[in-house]
Amino acid sequence: MFKKVPKRAKIPLFLTAVLSAAFVGTGVLSCPADCAVVLPARTAGAAVVSAGSAGASGVQERIPAAAGNTAEPASDEKTGEAVIEDKTEDQAEEAGDESRAGSAAAGQSEGTIRLRVSNWEEYIDLGDWDEEETIELPSGDIIGENSMVRDFEDWYFETYGRRVKVEYSTFGTNEDLYNMLTLGDEYDLVCPSEYMIMKLMAEDRLVPLSEEFFDTSLEYNYYSRGVSPFIRRMFEEKEIDGEPWKKYAAGYMWGVTGIVYNPEDVTYEQCSTWKILGDPAFRHRVTIKDNVRDSYFAAVGAVKSDLLTSEEFINSPDYALRLEEEMNDTSPEMIARVQEYLKDVKDNVYSFETDSGKADMITGKVALNYQWSGDAVYTLDQADEDDFTLEFAVPMESTNIYFDGWVMLQCGINGDPDRQHAAEAFINFLSRPDNVIRNMYYIGYTSVLSGGEDPRILEYAQYNYEAEDDEEETAEYDLGYFFAEEGSGDEDYVLTVPSEQLHRQLSGAYPSEDVIRRSSIMTYFNEEQNAAINQMWINVRCLDIREFPAAGWLVLAAAAGAVIWLFVRPWIKNKAG
Amino acid sequence: MQFSRKHLGIPYAVFLLVFVAAPLLFLCYYAFTNGQGQFTLRNLSGFFTDPNTLGTLFYSLLVAVVTTVVCLLLAYPVAYILAKSRLRSRSVILMLFIMPMWINFSLRVTALKEILTVIEGNLAMFPFLNAIIGMTYDFLPFMILPIYTTISRLDDALREAAMDLGADSVQTFLRITLPLSVPGIISGISMVFLPAMTNYVILDMLYNSTYIMGSLIGSYFSAYNWNGGSMISLVLLAMICIFTLLTGGGEEETGRGGALL
Repeated sequence: MFKKVPKRAKIPLFLTAVLSAAFVGTGVLSCPADCAVVLPARTAGAAVVSAGSAGASGVQERIPAAAGNTAEPASDEKTGEAVIEDKTEDQAEEAGDESRAGSAAAGQSEGTIRLRVSNWEEYIDLGDWDEEETIELPSGDIIGENSMVRDFEDWYFETYGRRVKVEYSTFGTNEDLYNMLTLGDEYDLVCPSEYMIMKLMAEDRLVPLSEEFFDTSLEYNYYSRGVSPFIRRMFEEKEIDGEPWKKYAAGYMWGVTGIVYNPEDVTYEQCSTWKILGDPAFRHRVTIKDNVRDSYFAAVGAVKSDLLTSEEFINSPDYALRLEEEMNDTSPEMIARVQEYLKDVKDNVYSFETDSGKADMITGKVALNYQWSGDAVYTLDQADEDDFTLEFAVPMESTNIYFDGWVMLQCGINGDPDRQHAAEAFINFLSRPDNVIRNMYYIGYTSVLSGGEDPRILEYAQYNYEAEDDEEETAEYDLGYFFAEEGSGDEDYVLTVPSEQLHRQLSGAYPSEDVIRRSSIMTYFNEEQNAAINQMWINVRCLDIREFPAAGWLVLAAAAGAVIWLFVRPWIKNKAG
Repeated sequence: MQFSRKHLGIPYAVFLLVFVAAPLLFLCYYAFTNGQGQFTLRNLSGFFTDPNTLGTLFYSLLVAVVTTVVCLLLAYPVAYILAKSRLRSRSVILMLFIMPMWINFSLRVTALKEILTVIEGNLAMFPFLNAIIGMTYDFLPFMILPIYTTISRLDDALREAAMDLGADSVQTFLRITLPLSVPGIISGISMVFLPAMTNYVILDMLYNSTYIMGSLIGSYFSAYNWNGGSMISLVLLAMICIFTLLTGGGEEETGRGGALL
């Protein structure tokens, strides 16, 4: 999954708008960043062939990966874009000094711990906020001054008396990350999506979190003390090969999939089904995700719409279980039907996109945009700045609940207890409520943390969404499922929000309980299923030679004739003569 | 060790070894092995039996051929007029044609997207046309430059001799200038045709949702099928080699003989 352009990309976005406007004379907005981001995502192998082409700027980054770079120190630099820019030499020197001083004073510091972290692009707070960006909560102000990574390094030293040096790099897609690992890159801590975590678990490549990590009596175990009960339950219940997720993974951000739409063209009710993606009424005004998993999920929802929305199905006692089975149906018949459906969708949509859909939505080029909730919130925010109102809906059939989580890799940790301690401390530091809010503000996604006894994360939700006193139409919005411990029946988690928020940012940031009820995890597929689904995707996206147009053959034949006449004929003549 | 001029080539040789030769070896290794690392020819036979890869191959060829023809038709007159003009501002005008190359590629295509949206109303209506326009927009300077260079280097005496011998200007062009500019045309074609076959970024950005070779290779890699992806890359590489050999041979010919047309 692609992550959004961060809030801080506003300025380049604006610049492009001006540039585009200068070219075209209309106030349009588009995003050059997205193309730059799209480049590395797709083709590792093509780089070898097409590095000379004009698209090389992005592709080149991936050449080392394609080339099978296994040299460890080099790979860290090449495969990811280091984000810690202000880690200067004097910092490192200082670290050296400290460790010397530390060993003299405390006698516990045996040098700097090196922690290799790989995360999604733009998926952590880089600090450097403006003064006016300060988030003023009843329990105190929150502002990001330094990058999160740097703050962690300082915090770790202050707390545990040892220096840790984080080597932070980023990846573009789960598949990229997996390919980098296959090529021998080593990381200690990575943040893939749920299905990749499942895959890594099944392949036994992860290090289990320590017992200490789950001890809620320890002050610094911010994750275990603060994770939302809803997420905790999910991590306890879901299993791979008999082992619960929670044994290996700590959540980071989560969300659901849905549809961002322009209320001037489309109604909320129309967006209540995945079938709208193939609806000819919106021909060339819909965008869909350019990856097989998201497209597959939506297509299954559309194909099985009647079943999934039937009273009988919804009211069945084992609804949740059946829903998950139906949505993860990879039988050959289902794949064939999805393929047929997606072929229609391909003709119907405006584009298959990973990132550009947001800009196309904001500039009004399309009316509907299949989107992850975190990006949906971002899109709505951006549109609001242009006084352009967009809304978010989650189809009735089902929605894909997804999350990204931190896991430790065997290849990196390699049995080193210090390193594992630092890795777990990193997770905990990111889970400290003020840091959670910083990251949520910066990247726009919703954290899996509810804060536990710390009220600030709930306060942040209230700060963002609660209605002003003079608001005319308000609605009650219950976040108990996320914030409350089970059975507490607490009313404290009901927000009074402006009615419009039921279809706006709030519904993306914290989906309603109804949406959660009809959400389904999309599991990882085994090799056989993967092969079948990827083949389906290729069938959808490629032009079958049997469908090749006659005019095309004609042009190619003419070209071949010209080549023969120009080059082969003189060559033969030359030989003969 | 004595320093000699040869040693200046070492950095490039190292570069070549690390970034060209080694990746190529890996490519061959993956192309001829299966997931378990055993030798196999199934990737190769798979390429030529899968209707999708073949369809994509011909689709890419089609895009590349049409782009090349359009570029040629646009570029030749421009290059000819420029080369023949006696304007003192010739180099300035040439610069104007080349200037788009100075602007970042993705920025240019983004701007093109907006222009096309205004003209067509909706980009999704003509995906093939958009692909051609995008490619042409991007590769046109690569066609103009070599043709311009070749024509401007032509010896005017040849043309004058033809005129003296009674050829009119059309005949002179067809029998003298055009044949002599073939080397420029050929290098222009190879500079446009080859990248046009694989540059899927332009297609992606202009929302053509049909895969060409570049995007197909990408999809194999993101599905962890390195072997299949490597084989497609290799076949493509082989095709490019054949093409280059063909045109290279032709260039030699035209360089010597000239009046082949």
